[in-house]
Amino acid sequence: MLNRRNFLKIGAATPIVVGGVALSNAKQLSVYSGKDFSPATGLERIAIPSACWQCVTRCPNISYVEDGRLVKIEGQPASIRTHGVMCAKGQGGVNQYTDPDRVLYPMRRIGKRGEGKWKRVSWDEALSEITGRLKKLRDDGTPEKFMFHYGRMKASHSKLIKSAFLGTYGTGTIGNHTSICEGAKWVAQELTWGGHYDNWDFDNTNYVLNFGSNVFEAGTNHIPTSHRLIARMADKRIRVVTFDVRLSNTAAKSDEWVPIIPGTDRAVVLAMCNVIMSEGLYKGEGEAFLEFCKVTPGASATLEEKVTALKAHLKDYTPEWAETVSGVPAAKTAEIARDFATVKPACVISYRGAVANHHGADTERAIQMLAAITGNVDNPGGRCKAVGPKWKYPKGPKNKPKSRKLKILDGLPGAAKLPNHHVSHQVLQMIKDGSAGRPDVYMWYCYTPVYANGQVQENIDILKDETLVPFSVCVNPFYDESAALADIILPDTPYTERWTWEDMVSPAQIPEYYIRQPVVKPLGECRDFADVCIEMADRMGFPLGIKSHEEFVKQSCEMTPDVKKAGGFEYMKANGVYHDPEAKPRYFSYRKALPPEKYLAETVVKDPATGVYWDWKKAKLASAQEALEKGYVATKKSYKAYVGQEINGVVYSGFKPDKVNKSGYFEIYSEIMEAKDLPAMPSWTPIPEYEAKKPDDLILTTYKVAEQIHSRSANCKFLSEIFHDNPAWINPKTAKEKGIDEGDSIKVNSSFGEIVIKARVTPVVVPGTIAIAHHCGHWEYGRYASGEVAPKAAGSPGGDERDSARIWWNGERGVHPNWIIGNVADPISGQLRWMDTVVSVTKA
Amino acid sequence: MKNSDVNLSRRNLVAKAGLGAAAAVATATLPKPAKAEATDRTVQYAMVIDTRRCVGCHACSVACKAEFDVPLGETRSWVEYIEKGEYPNVSRQFLPRLCNQCSDPPCVRVCPTGATYKRKEDGIVVVDADICIGCKYCMQACPYDARFINPRTGTADKCDFCLHRVSQGIAPACVNTCQGRARIFGDMNDPDSEVAKLIATEPVTVLRQEMGTKPNVYYIAADHTDDGDARFQHQYLRVDTHRRAKERR
Repeated sequence: MLNRRNFLKIGAATPIVVGGVALSNAKQLSVYSGKDFSPATGLERIAIPSACWQCVTRCPNISYVEDGRLVKIEGQPASIRTHGVMCAKGQGGVNQYTDPDRVLYPMRRIGKRGEGKWKRVSWDEALSEITGRLKKLRDDGTPEKFMFHYGRMKASHSKLIKSAFLGTYGTGTIGNHTSICEGAKWVAQELTWGGHYDNWDFDNTNYVLNFGSNVFEAGTNHIPTSHRLIARMADKRIRVVTFDVRLSNTAAKSDEWVPIIPGTDRAVVLAMCNVIMSEGLYKGEGEAFLEFCKVTPGASATLEEKVTALKAHLKDYTPEWAETVSGVPAAKTAEIARDFATVKPACVISYRGAVANHHGADTERAIQMLAAITGNVDNPGGRCKAVGPKWKYPKGPKNKPKSRKLKILDGLPGAAKLPNHHVSHQVLQMIKDGSAGRPDVYMWYCYTPVYANGQVQENIDILKDETLVPFSVCVNPFYDESAALADIILPDTPYTERWTWEDMVSPAQIPEYYIRQPVVKPLGECRDFADVCIEMADRMGFPLGIKSHEEFVKQSCEMTPDVKKAGGFEYMKANGVYHDPEAKPRYFSYRKALPPEKYLAETVVKDPATGVYWDWKKAKLASAQEALEKGYVATKKSYKAYVGQEINGVVYSGFKPDKVNKSGYFEIYSEIMEAKDLPAMPSWTPIPEYEAKKPDDLILTTYKVAEQIHSRSANCKFLSEIFHDNPAWINPKTAKEKGIDEGDSIKVNSSFGEIVIKARVTPVVVPGTIAIAHHCGHWEYGRYASGEVAPKAAGSPGGDERDSARIWWNGERGVHPNWIIGNVADPISGQLRWMDTVVSVTKA
Repeated sequence: MKNSDVNLSRRNLVAKAGLGAAAAVATATLPKPAKAEATDRTVQYAMVIDTRRCVGCHACSVACKAEFDVPLGETRSWVEYIEKGEYPNVSRQFLPRLCNQCSDPPCVRVCPTGATYKRKEDGIVVVDADICIGCKYCMQACPYDARFINPRTGTADKCDFCLHRVSQGIAPACVNTCQGRARIFGDMNDPDSEVAKLIATEPVTVLRQEMGTKPNVYYIAADHTDDGDARFQHQYLRVDTHRRAKERR
């Protein structure tokens, strides 16, 4: 607000700067200054380099403090990942801090579970009860009965909480959330090129082919990739083609949106591969890359054999066939295949739209194949192996017990054949089932098992049932739908009040080191849960030898050579972010020929069946003889002992395996898949639910928007003010058939339940589908998300309540689709199938 | 009422209210590059929004909300979506909106107290909250729906191109956060500035040119379709304002 007093204050506060400005010209305005000023007083705000935690991308930021309060967040100009820009979610992070519905003190329920009656307890009381139970389980030799389930836990939080604390405690019953995120991509990438995370080198690409990624609104490495893509599109006019079931903002910005029936992207990808192979468009870069590909059984094959095998496998996957499956015109598929194979370099990208469905992992494998046969793998401008920083850090106590775990992490029997990253959305069902045991203590951290998974009602019923879940602890800065069902809530700090070293991958193909540091003092009695773990370990008599998370970050900075060189902890506190200015972008990592001393070492043998050189000692075998007898593939976790891959007489670093015992080839043909009775080569497998679908049934698909993260941002008032309602998108043709008009209430039924939701009749979605956004329909998470004020423990100071009476979207809060989405899994990877639920839709 | 009179009285008020040296500094606060550079050129800040580079992400909207702690229900800066066509030939365009800092601002013309005025130093249209009586004439007069009554002060409020930042030599908050670098800000009277060059070389448009307001927010490749067009074209059109006011002006 501008007024006379402000004029005076601005002048009086910073006369020197003002004088400078008076001399400056408008053209010298700095866009990425790392400075901000108060509009009210004109005073410079205190700038603290830190990092975001809204979505998994975790961009470095600069947080601005005024009068001891966090008031503004901007991008970090020194970051090579973001170049100083920031998304709406990152900007909205200021609201996490001031949310008046924050939990500020430990709370214990006093009513029935889920009744909403709480009392404030001291940390000592809360931790005495928790560690009393945990210590007994440990002393009884059943540490696995402590289940820890996390949603977002990365970098130093993961090392301290998971590796040091839980590792020393001895439980392996540790759940994650990858299966509701991108598990299908990870598993597919592990099967083809080893470790997960694909980076899209938009800085250098000349063509982008997109299957189901909404890169301009969301995604694993959102801003670092999206701002590069829009720059490339605007500056170089590169062509972008997006396959999606609806017109996402990414599809809208693309040169072409190709509508496709949900869950059928693989058919189109296979047909594109067919066109490229049958028309000889693989020649050149694709042909050269085939040398590093495994396309046939066995350790090696000639180029001719590989080409023949690919052509034979793809023969029936014609564009005409793909049209019958996907609805994409055959000519369109062929045209785009030719473009993609001809423009160099080209980048094929993918995300949940393509993979969160039946055999979604095979779709990602098919996409990997498409990148391979056009030579667009780990090359400038292509689909690259991600590069991230390698921190060194204190490991905690040396002597950790062998962990014990309940077998409840990988889903119901038969749910998934390669659940490399678990089937977290079926954990509660496994607890209910009970045949693999049940945890006595179920603790969750930065996670909302009720809201984030499918089958919400069942999640509620299980968590409420004290015979199934005897004791539950929620670690959360906020009172969400799951916190409401806990026995004890431990108030975590929002990300604005804690330490972390951070490690997200860099689309510059150069690693970036960065830290998060507290911007403000924790409100109330909130504590970083990593610090709480250090205390719990002390209380249980196994001190971690780490004083605090801050100390852990400090030591890591001094232990990590690159960071130490830059100036260690003090440098990182002052600057927030570091990358080696001399570093060159990393490409073609697989092509490095190994020096003989590496693969001729005493403990290394060659596996004749695969051509893999591996270290038998690292594989915990007794001798080379034993290794040769057992073989690389059959030895448990032999991938950890991988050294290199022999290809045509040269031993290369190759595509190093992770999680599975694959070879060092880029495996288009997977014997691991084959051994599980899954297609060895990426293949079309009909979707059983589609086969059984009635003619007037629709397919429900879900999506995310630019202004919210999946389930942890609806409490941010500035974000929910923009996006708070999620009417179901339905094509006018489909709506007409069902007599549905714009704004009508409609019933959407699946085999898991029914929701009633408003219809938005719009041509920006494929006929025969219904698209419902995530993020909405909260019934807790505070006033901005749900209208429900969080229960306050006595004596809690309120947050910023000034806007409480100004919430204008009451009654427009949308409906959560997860009530009717099954906790079903891709039979390959265990990925939750967000995109292919068959539903019936009628006017309510 | 003559604009120049209003502006003069504005400055007089400031001077009278000030206390000696502080008052002198206060007036020096406001950027006066023309004087400093000893040229007779005046500054007119302007923004060019290249919608080809806008991905509709709303980072600008939220950055603005945070920068000014804008109360819920009100917006200084927002992004409209314009969706149209028939399946499968459909499009969604993004139109970032803010005060146009007009060179012939209707809000200034109707302000009965002189609280709203266009700064001579830089062409930014501002509201002096100490003088504004909250009569809402300016809200009625603005053809862009850029103004609101701030519920915390009871006075008119709107985008001021982040005067508090610009006067310190840094770009507005929305420009800073924009991932597509779709917003280019600067002095359009400086022929070497990027905005001046873009205005000179690109087919820029302004919103509601027919109103004669002479906006200083220019657009490249903006979609100006509004509800009126839909009536004639008999096709699907949806305009989402993403603000409390669902109707677009």
